Amino acid sequence: MRPMKLAITGLTACSGCQLTLLNCEDELPELLARCELVYFPLAESGNKLEVQFDAAIVEGAVSTPKDLELLFRLRNASKVLVAYGTCALFGGVAAMNNMTCSRHDLLQAVFGAAEKLPESFAPAPLANYVSVDAVVTGCPPEKQEIAELLAALAAGTLPPPRSYPVCTECRSRENLCLLLEKNELCLGPVVQGGCNARCPATGIVCEGCRGPVREANVAQELELLLERGFGRDEIERRMSRFKPEWDYGQRH
Amino acid sequence: MANNFLKTSRLDQFLDALRLFGELHAPTTSESGVHRFSLLDDPADLNLDYRRTQIPPKKYLLPFREEILHCAGDTYREGHCGAVDMVLFGVHSCDLEGIAYLDRVFLADPADPGYSARRASLTLVGVTCHPDDFCFCPEGTVSTACDLFLAASGDGFHLTSHSVRGNAILAAAEHLLEEGVPLQPATSSGLCFPPQDPELRFSDHPLWEKFASTCVSCGACSVCCPTCYCFDVREYPALSGGCTRIREWDNCLFASHGEVAGANFRPERLDRLRYRFLHKYCGFTPLQGISSCVGCGRCKEVCPVDIDLRELTVAPKQVQP
Repeated sequence: MRPMKLAITGLTACSGCQLTLLNCEDELPELLARCELVYFPLAESGNKLEVQFDAAIVEGAVSTPKDLELLFRLRNASKVLVAYGTCALFGGVAAMNNMTCSRHDLLQAVFGAAEKLPESFAPAPLANYVSVDAVVTGCPPEKQEIAELLAALAAGTLPPPRSYPVCTECRSRENLCLLLEKNELCLGPVVQGGCNARCPATGIVCEGCRGPVREANVAQELELLLERGFGRDEIERRMSRFKPEWDYGQRH
Repeated sequence: MANNFLKTSRLDQFLDALRLFGELHAPTTSESGVHRFSLLDDPADLNLDYRRTQIPPKKYLLPFREEILHCAGDTYREGHCGAVDMVLFGVHSCDLEGIAYLDRVFLADPADPGYSARRASLTLVGVTCHPDDFCFCPEGTVSTACDLFLAASGDGFHLTSHSVRGNAILAAAEHLLEEGVPLQPATSSGLCFPPQDPELRFSDHPLWEKFASTCVSCGACSVCCPTCYCFDVREYPALSGGCTRIREWDNCLFASHGEVAGANFRPERLDRLRYRFLHKYCGFTPLQGISSCVGCGRCKEVCPVDIDLRELTVAPKQVQP
C-alpha cells in the first residue's frame, strides 16, 4: 500500500497541537510506516510544498497574509484538509479579543508605537476561508483523538465524531459537579466532550478549550451562571477565551 | 431456627467473610466528597450512611466505555469482558431493582456476552436505606433481587438470604451471627413509579415546552440512572491496520441519539424528551408496559435545571410554575 503523503503545519498558533502529535511516541513508528511526512517544518528539514498531499493537518488561526497564502496552497494541494485544534476550528486563544478591541490597538499594545506594524487581521477559523473536511478539537487535542484521525485517514475514512458535552464524561467519572455543588463558573454543559473531563477531575472548572458541543443550550448555561451570581461580562470573557463569538440566545 | 443477626460490632469481620466470595466493593466517599461504589481495602472507608452514589452499580455490569471487538486482517476477537468475582456490599433496594431491570434487558435471549459474564460473577448484598427528599420509592420497601439482604435493626442487621450464594455467605459467616427476633417477610418494592399511558408523551402539557427550552442535554440524568442502558457503538481504525469497536453510554437527549443516515428520528429536543418519557415510564417491546423508574432520585438530584419528567403526569394546575 502506498504510504499517504502528509503535510502537518501551523498558522497563527503556539505549535502545541503539533507538539502533542510529536508526543504520541507510542504511535509514531506505526505512523511513519503508514505515511510519508512530506511537509512538517516543526519536526524536520527539507520540506516540500510542491506536491499533492493525501491530507494536510493544519493548526492555528488565520491572521496574516502569509497564513492565508499557506492555507490556500495546502487546500489546493490536498485531498483532505484537517482543521487541527481549537484555533483552527474556532479562532482559539489568539481570537479571544476579536469582539472587544480593534486589531490595531492590540498590535500597538504588543509592538508599541513602531512606524511599521506587522500586517495582521482578526484571527479566524480555517473554515472562514476554505472548505474543511475533518476536524480535531482541543487545546491541545487529546492524543487518542489524534491517533484516531491519523489511523482513519490511513484507512481512507474519517473517525466517527463524539457529540456529548464534558458533563457526560465528568458525571461518569463520579467527579464532584463544580457548577452545581460549588457554584463555580464551569462551562461543562456547553462544551464538547472527549477529554474525559480532564480538568473537572482535578477540581478545575471546564474553561471550554474544546469549543461548543453540538446544539449547545448556550442561553440556559448563561442563565445558570447568572443565577449563581456571575456577571455577564465575566461570563462572556470566560466563554470567549477559546471561541470569540457565541450566540447567547441559542437554545438548540 | 438458624442464627441470622449480625451485631454492628462484628461488621468488619463479616466484611472479611464476604471477601471469600470475591473482590469487595462498597459505598465510600471520594476525596472531593462524592459518594460512589469502589474497592474497599480498609473497612474504615465504608460509608453505609450514604443516600445515593453518583453512579449506580450498573457501572460494574455495563461500563461507561468498553472495547467489544477487535479486527485485524481477516480475523476478529471479542473484547475482554473483564469479569472477576466481585461482591458488591451495601446496595440499596432501588439499585437492586435497577439491576433486576437491566437483567431483563441484557440477559434476555440473546444474552449480551459481556454483561452476562460480569453479572454471573457479581454477588449482591443489599442493605436498608434512609430515604431523603429526592427519593420517591414507596417507604419501607425491601428488594429481594439480591443474594443477601441486611435489614438494619437496633444494634445490628437481620440477614436474609435470597439465593444459593446468599446461603453460602450465611454459612461462611455463621460464627459471627446470633439469634435475632424474626423479621416481617421482605416485600419486593417492584418498580415504584407506575407505568404510564404511552399517549401521555404527546400531551399538550405546558411543561413539555419549558423542559425542552431549559434542558442543557448534559446527559447527567441518564448517566446517573440505574436503568438507563442506551449505548452508542463506534468503530475506530487502528494505525497498525484493523480496527477497534467500542460501546459507550449514550443519552436520548443528545442530538445524535436518533440520527440515522440522512435524517434524525428526533430532530428537536422536545422530541427527545417525549422519547425519554416513553422509555422511562411506558417501556418498549419487549418491556412494553413496564416502568423502569426505581425511585432512586438521582435524575432529580443531578439535573442542573431541575427537570422532573414525572411532573408531566400531573395535571398542569397542580404544578408549581
